Amino acid sequence: MKEYLRKALRRETPFFVGIPAFIWLVLYFYVPLTFIVLLSFLLHDSASLLQGLTITHYLSFLTYPYVWIFLRSLFFAFTVSCACLCIGYSLAYFLAFKAGRFKTFFLFLVIIPFFTNFLLHIYAWFFVLERNGFLNNLLQFLGIIKEPLHFLNTAGATLVVMVYCYLPFMVLPLYSILEKFDRKLIESSLDLGATAWQTFTRITIPLTISGIQSGFFLVFIPAFGEFVIPGLVGGDKSLFVGTVISTSMLGAHTMADGAAFTVLTGVLLVVVAALLLCVIRSFERKGNV
Amino acid sequence: MNSIARMRSLFGMPLFVGLTYIFLYIPIIILVLFSFNSAAFPSPWQSFTLHWYKELFYTSQLWHSFLNSCIVAFCATALSLLMSIGLVFYDLKAKKIRSYLAFFYGIVIVPEIVFAVGLLSFFSFFEIPLSLPTLVVAHTVLGLGYAVPLIYTRFLEMDRRLIEASLDLGATTSQTFFKVVIPYLKPSCMAAALLLFIISFDDFIIAFFCAGSDAQTLSLYIFSMIRAGISPVINALSTLLLIVSSFFVVAFCSLNNRSRLL
Repeated sequence: MKEYLRKALRRETPFFVGIPAFIWLVLYFYVPLTFIVLLSFLLHDSASLLQGLTITHYLSFLTYPYVWIFLRSLFFAFTVSCACLCIGYSLAYFLAFKAGRFKTFFLFLVIIPFFTNFLLHIYAWFFVLERNGFLNNLLQFLGIIKEPLHFLNTAGATLVVMVYCYLPFMVLPLYSILEKFDRKLIESSLDLGATAWQTFTRITIPLTISGIQSGFFLVFIPAFGEFVIPGLVGGDKSLFVGTVISTSMLGAHTMADGAAFTVLTGVLLVVVAALLLCVIRSFERKGNV
Repeated sequence: MNSIARMRSLFGMPLFVGLTYIFLYIPIIILVLFSFNSAAFPSPWQSFTLHWYKELFYTSQLWHSFLNSCIVAFCATALSLLMSIGLVFYDLKAKKIRSYLAFFYGIVIVPEIVFAVGLLSFFSFFEIPLSLPTLVVAHTVLGLGYAVPLIYTRFLEMDRRLIEASLDLGATTSQTFFKVVIPYLKPSCMAAALLLFIISFDDFIIAFFCAGSDAQTLSLYIFSMIRAGISPVINALSTLLLIVSSFFVVAFCSLNNRSRLL
């Protein structure tokens, strides 16, 4: 019997070595996610005893102010992703094709912010955007403005700082795909009479679409739930999805509402991501024709 | 090609890239400069001082939170790395897990805040007190989402003939794993470990929800300091952290050249 057990244990060692990762992931990732869905449907009375199931937590969020919050977050996330894509693509293109022997150094400069706490980047922007900060001083020195402007606590500040913080997340996937890109394809396209712009839109972009896709989502998804940057440099004036989630989840009796709002956020994100994916795929198909 | 187009192709790209680098580095340079300024921020440059660095070293709360961050990052990195290598072992000895890999991509797709909030409600339902262990649990999940795809795809790229040769020459699968697969995966494991450590160390969103009120990590401490206003001590801290992370980047890049993770 003992011998049999030992043999069985020996045979099953790989299973016991391999399974913890799955268990960990299910227990601490998939179960909590299901949990939040369950929590959003539970009805508690004032003594926080379970009363039954309800959809009242959802109904309060389908009103005008909350729809507006969703739209605002979507708009910000989309704008930030597009700005990051434009800046990041040219930067990655430069790094992959034009940087020459300084490539490692320039790449190093892009990766450093990626490896530093993003709170410090937000903090650094205070020195640029403050009333006596760099930007106001520069503009006054150039004679463009006479009086210092208010940059902090505006939507513009939120946008700029978000682009700044998320830019490395866009550059790195684009760079890694552009680096593997076969340059002979560009040369042959130019040789066969295509203009530089045609080559770029019909060869380079379709062949790097997977990098664009992963970069876009790496920026879009966290930007949609962002609550730190609007809270610190946006002045808490306008609410974002992330702000609502964090305040209601950390509040005393609003956890179920927060759960409902989180579920709505997740559903919305899935829908938007699917739509964006369709758009990107259609670009890919256009390139293949 | 007319002259305007030539000018554009010669200068357009470098100009735009130069502006991008200025955009990336102006805030950081100003941040570092003001850590050496003897007067606190709103006043302009006065004189060079190292006073803020001295003050930084006497802020015991900061070092306490720094230690907490290091402990959490180390535990989470070790756990997720061990589990990912365990998966490779399972794949080699028993069953291919390739079709289950999508399972691990869930973490990348779900926004961090949703995951953090889910975990928070999970912990509070079972009345598990929020502290450093809960944070390690959360960061390990995050680490698995990065480590498993990185290490496993690297393992898939490995030349199968190496494994077959080792088995043909009489090594057991365990010996093959320890003497052939592990040495092959070593650089990517180290690069992944660096990445995981940094991700856990710099994480704010998960710590904000899952660390509780007693356990303070460095990110939470920095956040509370920024909330309180501009202080040259944070500038000094940022400068030191920037130097440390550039060392990390150098180490990561040299490992990456060998293992091609990114």
